[in-house]
Amino acid sequence: MTKPVVIVVGADKGGVGKTTVSRTLLDYFNTNNVQTRAFDTESPRGTLKRFHPEITEIVDMTTTADQMKIFDTLNSGLSVTVIDARAGLLSPALASLRDIGFLDAARSGQITFAVFHILGSSIASLDEIAETAGFMSGAKYFLVKNFINDTQFFQWDQSTYNSYFQQIKNATELTIPKLNEMAYEQVEVASVPFVNFVANKNRNDEAANHSFVLRGYVRHWLANVWREYDRINLTDLAGAKSVTRGGEK
Amino acid sequence: MPMLATPVYIICSPSPQVGKTLVSRLMSEFLLLKNGTALSFDINLKEPSLVDYLPNITETADVIDTYGKMQLMDRLILHDRVAKVIDLGFHAFDEFFKMCEEIGFIREALRCHVAPVVLFVAGTDRISLRSYEMLRRRIPSGALITIHNEFMLRGELPEVMDGARVLRFSALPVFLKTYVDRLSFSFTGYLRNEKDSSSELHQWIWRNYVMFRDLESMAMLQPSS
Repeated sequence: MTKPVVIVVGADKGGVGKTTVSRTLLDYFNTNNVQTRAFDTESPRGTLKRFHPEITEIVDMTTTADQMKIFDTLNSGLSVTVIDARAGLLSPALASLRDIGFLDAARSGQITFAVFHILGSSIASLDEIAETAGFMSGAKYFLVKNFINDTQFFQWDQSTYNSYFQQIKNATELTIPKLNEMAYEQVEVASVPFVNFVANKNRNDEAANHSFVLRGYVRHWLANVWREYDRINLTDLAGAKSVTRGGEK
Repeated sequence: MPMLATPVYIICSPSPQVGKTLVSRLMSEFLLLKNGTALSFDINLKEPSLVDYLPNITETADVIDTYGKMQLMDRLILHDRVAKVIDLGFHAFDEFFKMCEEIGFIREALRCHVAPVVLFVAGTDRISLRSYEMLRRRIPSGALITIHNEFMLRGELPEVMDGARVLRFSALPVFLKTYVDRLSFSFTGYLRNEKDSSSELHQWIWRNYVMFRDLESMAMLQPSS
């Protein structure tokens, strides 16, 4: 039986693109035939659920009942669980995971645990790294520089960043490139997964009328994001084999 | 019987004043004569432009922002059997092909039974050579045609451009060039009204129309993937 995989996507700051990254992960696993479920902790609204309603459940991770819903069902047969942690919840969520013994289970190899820490442009993000690093023993830690909304990491002094980065053993950097603004907006309006937008489909999986140009921008961007996921062998992490994808070369 | 593709002719050069609009006019008028319909796009707003010559079948377009790109490219990808001509101004050359690369235009077009044909008006300057190399890397060889406009480029073509398919437009005498450059001049109108079919201009137009006819046949039979 495949070992369960839990991926937490989070940041303590809002508006850095956590849900966007979660959406690209769900699309990536879906395309690579990895069975996935998602939990959206933006209770009660749930942005992730709007894009992936069939596999996403809205939960309040601060309640014991919902923690049980997530972690007591890890052996349900679905190999990957993606948790989109709402702003400010990353550190408390990791503390909860420690308290329920989840981090110990990850350390002992019973569970594969990964954290995608989405970095903002402010220096506060660097403090977040230091705080999060304390929980990362036994976990795969990915630091994601998200440029999708044209973030300029202007506040960062590279040597300061490096000093934080080097404190964390085995942390890996990822870069999410910028997506054309109009293309991003149109996917938002369409409320469909990125892959459905590229395939010109609407929410009901029927033919849509999305702009060819915007679909092209999304296709190109998504291919670059997935290239990053290929680089870190994300399908191997999930215990699956990468499939050959058509289209973008 | 193979499905015939909808051709899209992209007439381009990274340099000004090499004869792009002349070739675009000729191509548009040829398509109108042969098919009874054609749609041209003028992305040439800083120069004397196609829309001034053929206002009934020409729309202006730009690739400055995403909205302009959508307005143009979303129509180019349609397999509606109306051949399209793009008179691509030199200032839009880089942005247009960068966008084509980013949105996967060539590959998607073939999938949609649309056949893009890039007609590169040759020059001997360094920018032309560099741009041609870029196109050679990105455009399938059968869809990249060099235009040798002998009125503007008197000598030989650069060697790198001479190997593949070339359409040669012989130089017209200056007085005839001035004549065809008038806004009211129509190539097809001239063929219809000029009784002397042995005249130099008559022969010149006819020869170029025959070249376009052969090119059109090739483009429409392009494989769909």
